[in-house]
Amino acid sequence: MMLSRKPRPLAVVADGAEPAGSLAEQALAYVDELYGLARHLCATPSDAEDIVQETYARALGGVARLTPGSNLRAWLFRILRNCFIDQARRKKILLEIADDGVGERAGSEVWDTAALDQLRYLAAADLERALATLPHELRFIVLLDAQGFHEAEIAEIARCAPGTVKSRLSRARARLRDVLRGEP
Amino acid sequence: MTEPRTDETNPGVAEADRLIAEALADHVRLPAPQRLRDQLAARHVVVSRARGPWRSWIAPFALGAAAAAAVAVIVVRPPAADPGDTAGLDEAVGDHLRIVSAPRPLDVESNDMHNVKPWFTGRLDFVPPVSFVGDDEFVLRGGALAVFQGHKAAAFVYQRRLHTITLLVHADAAARPRDETTSRGFHVIRWAASGGFGLALVSDIGWDDLRQLEDRLR
Repeated sequence: MMLSRKPRPLAVVADGAEPAGSLAEQALAYVDELYGLARHLCATPSDAEDIVQETYARALGGVARLTPGSNLRAWLFRILRNCFIDQARRKKILLEIADDGVGERAGSEVWDTAALDQLRYLAAADLERALATLPHELRFIVLLDAQGFHEAEIAEIARCAPGTVKSRLSRARARLRDVLRGEP
Repeated sequence: MTEPRTDETNPGVAEADRLIAEALADHVRLPAPQRLRDQLAARHVVVSRARGPWRSWIAPFALGAAAAAAVAVIVVRPPAADPGDTAGLDEAVGDHLRIVSAPRPLDVESNDMHNVKPWFTGRLDFVPPVSFVGDDEFVLRGGALAVFQGHKAAAFVYQRRLHTITLLVHADAAARPRDETTSRGFHVIRWAASGGFGLALVSDIGWDDLRQLEDRLR
């Protein structure tokens, strides 16, 4: 049998200036949003549930790190991102690195009425397939955008510059357009 | 949502981006499974409310409800029945369920093995052969006495995120090959250890995590 590192003390009850029950209830109001994003990042529903559970365990076990006036929703998504990265490391999943050196594509695309009509009646499975072609970081950012976060909030969550968010969103959208139009 | 970039020279692209953004906004929202909601509420809302005068009696119930976050190790004296049979398997899962659902799942609560293991002295007629003290991934929560097939047993409880694992160790166990089984949805890994002990891990956690704990225990 193997001895291992010194165990970490448990933090079951959250401590902080704010009433922990109130904070927990506020945080749990975002469970659908967190799970929805996790489900689109993770390969399986159980992986998505795991990182949502871990997100709440970390968030509510370290309440003191949330300063008064902070954006609770954005903070939870930032923790979720960290949990996803940690899970990928544990599972030895290689996360693609968004190549910010690649420039945006020239606007030479042609979207006629017929092509746009296809987007108006888009099947969920087609959209899911298109999302799956995005590197994880681009997918994460485009999903945050779809959740209604602004660029500044996404930059804070993804820990990158607002300009990087703008660039990545643009490239993600270009990639989605290509895939949804059947281009390689 | 960030307004898709308007390309004045290519309004088709802007319209395509807008339509895709609309579809994504509908697509990204998925309801969390009720099971996940229940687990989170049990673990965080109930526990975090259990403060002050309420805590003394609520906390044990909260711990029981949140015991999906624990890993338990049960050590038992040799049972009359072969631990490899179905009855033994069912009882192993039953012991696991009793630990995670009991109002007071732990008799000794500590993440220090030097507190937990001595607690069994005088309560069992054998020394539990468990030396894994826990780590960052499998945190020791404590221990408890249990009963397995009419014999006293020791339970060591660990935490793996929000999951529970139970390890049964049978002294004088018959030699048996390692096997992996699923019973009532719980994963069970059984193997034999030196000294005539048989071990069985029981959990709702994934196989990979269960095997990691098995590696630590070997």
